[in-house]
Amino acid sequence: MTRSKKNFVDIFFLSISAIASLSVLLLIIGILYVLISESSPAIEKFGVWRFISSTDWNPVKGSFGAATTLFGTAITTVLSILIAVPVAIGIAIFVTEIAPSFLKGPIGAAIELLAAIPSIIYGMWGLFTLAPIMSNYIEPALQKSFGRLPFVGMLFEGTPMGIDLLTASVILSIMIIPFTASISRDAFNLTPTVTKESAYALGATKWEVVKNVVIPYSKLGVFGGIVLSLGRALGETMAVAFVLGNNHQITASLFDAAATITVTLANEFTEADSDIYLSSLFYLALILFVMSFVVLAIAKFFILKTEKGIK
Amino acid sequence: MNTAQVRKLKNGIALTVCTLAAFLGLFWLFFIIWDVFFNGIGGLNLALFMNDPVPPGLEGGGLRNAFVGHLMITFFATLIGVPIGILGGTFLAEYARGRKIARLISVLSDIMVSVPSIVIGTFIYAVIVKPVGHFSGWAGAVALAIIMIPVVLRTTEDMLSLVPWTLREAAFALGAPYYKVIIHVIYRAAAAGILTGILLSIARVVGETAPLLFTSFNNSFFSANMNEPVSSLTVSIFQYAMGPYDSWHSQAWASSLMITVFILVLAVLGRLLLAWRYGKRPTI
Repeated sequence: MTRSKKNFVDIFFLSISAIASLSVLLLIIGILYVLISESSPAIEKFGVWRFISSTDWNPVKGSFGAATTLFGTAITTVLSILIAVPVAIGIAIFVTEIAPSFLKGPIGAAIELLAAIPSIIYGMWGLFTLAPIMSNYIEPALQKSFGRLPFVGMLFEGTPMGIDLLTASVILSIMIIPFTASISRDAFNLTPTVTKESAYALGATKWEVVKNVVIPYSKLGVFGGIVLSLGRALGETMAVAFVLGNNHQITASLFDAAATITVTLANEFTEADSDIYLSSLFYLALILFVMSFVVLAIAKFFILKTEKGIK
Repeated sequence: MNTAQVRKLKNGIALTVCTLAAFLGLFWLFFIIWDVFFNGIGGLNLALFMNDPVPPGLEGGGLRNAFVGHLMITFFATLIGVPIGILGGTFLAEYARGRKIARLISVLSDIMVSVPSIVIGTFIYAVIVKPVGHFSGWAGAVALAIIMIPVVLRTTEDMLSLVPWTLREAAFALGAPYYKVIIHVIYRAAAAGILTGILLSIARVVGETAPLLFTSFNNSFFSANMNEPVSSLTVSIFQYAMGPYDSWHSQAWASSLMITVFILVLAVLGRLLLAWRYGKRPTI
């Protein structure tokens, strides 16, 4: 091969690989552009604030608002984080500090496999196995113990059917445990052994080392893991679609069916019979994309900061 | 009780709670796998793989169309997504190594890995399904490919960065141009790692449902034509599980079992490969 031909091939390879890597950037811009242009009829008709604050979701009358779906998304996300985070941090502490070293790898890997199970399996398992357990045992028990309390009782009103906000949040929490656990474990592992050993030398118990040395040292990373799980929970579709009922309403009770952005999209996208209906669904998708992108970017920022801070 | 005893007690309680948390995590994993296995094994028979769906209520239907459709969609998604991902990762780790643009794209890919897959579905609906006028297998394959690209890209970038720089210098010293160094030296050195990335990205998309709902849609007949709506296992599971018939439920469980086993095998294989070759584990 002559020198110029070599150069040509090299430049060719450089260009296609550059284009391939730029495709990620182009995709993000493309998704944003397409979603904005597809939802522009709805944006023009309903505006931004009015769309977000309106609880009216009425395909027959052609009037749409996002408040009910945003409510469902917010409740399931927050509730699942509340359930998942303590468990996930417990797991991370167990795997890094408590487990005998031959168990550390296998148990960590097994819990991460929870993240590999596809969401549709979670959804089906939730519908056929978890929902009956919730409606027969757990939800009546919750009603019995907290139902009479003022204010708190409102959360547990109604007939427990199992197809409701609480069941959806429990499934979501199981799905996001591995994300928080895995990133917290990495953050915990970055704590220098010498620092931990100095605390032990002062007579600290293992829990005191975890609480006063390991967690303060790695709190940014743990926080990043929690925010990442939040981003994942926001966009989870199939696991929730089975057990939420796609009912557009804002309720105080966790035992009521509701709707999230993702569930609404999954159930109604192919049924949208008018342009404004479809456009409103694209509007929801746009809101979801922007929300999760921002949340995930914040998570990435904290995770990167932990890694850098320790190096 | 004196302070030492209180501290010891607190220590014991806290450690027990953490241990219980770990076992709760394991409990969910085994509960779900056992449940899928227990419910799915009964529906596994030859008819599931050999027959196409029959009208509800009749006996003997299967999901041959969905198995074939799912394979086709995943195959073409891999065919589109993997080369783009590998090339993109190559650019970041080799040509743009250390530059700002490489950092930016790498971070954006990490974000893209977690972006809701249903949004990708709506995007493909707008750019492929709507202009063409109908749902198609190709739209589904492209949607899955978009999900694969950032996964493959990031693993490739990480794995190429692990190849020692001196190896490249040795090849340069022999007068090899950069593209030859990449293809003949670096790709070979990082082969196991790149393969892991491919395995994990396939495991990632095989179970995806949301992006297929409005791209490849569903088809109750057998079709090997990627230009038509193509049935997939996951969408069929969604439809069957939500349906009222017991035979549908049992087929949905059996298909779930097949998908779960397939994904867990891929995920475990990918992990073992990574642990054996690099002593690392994948970032989720």
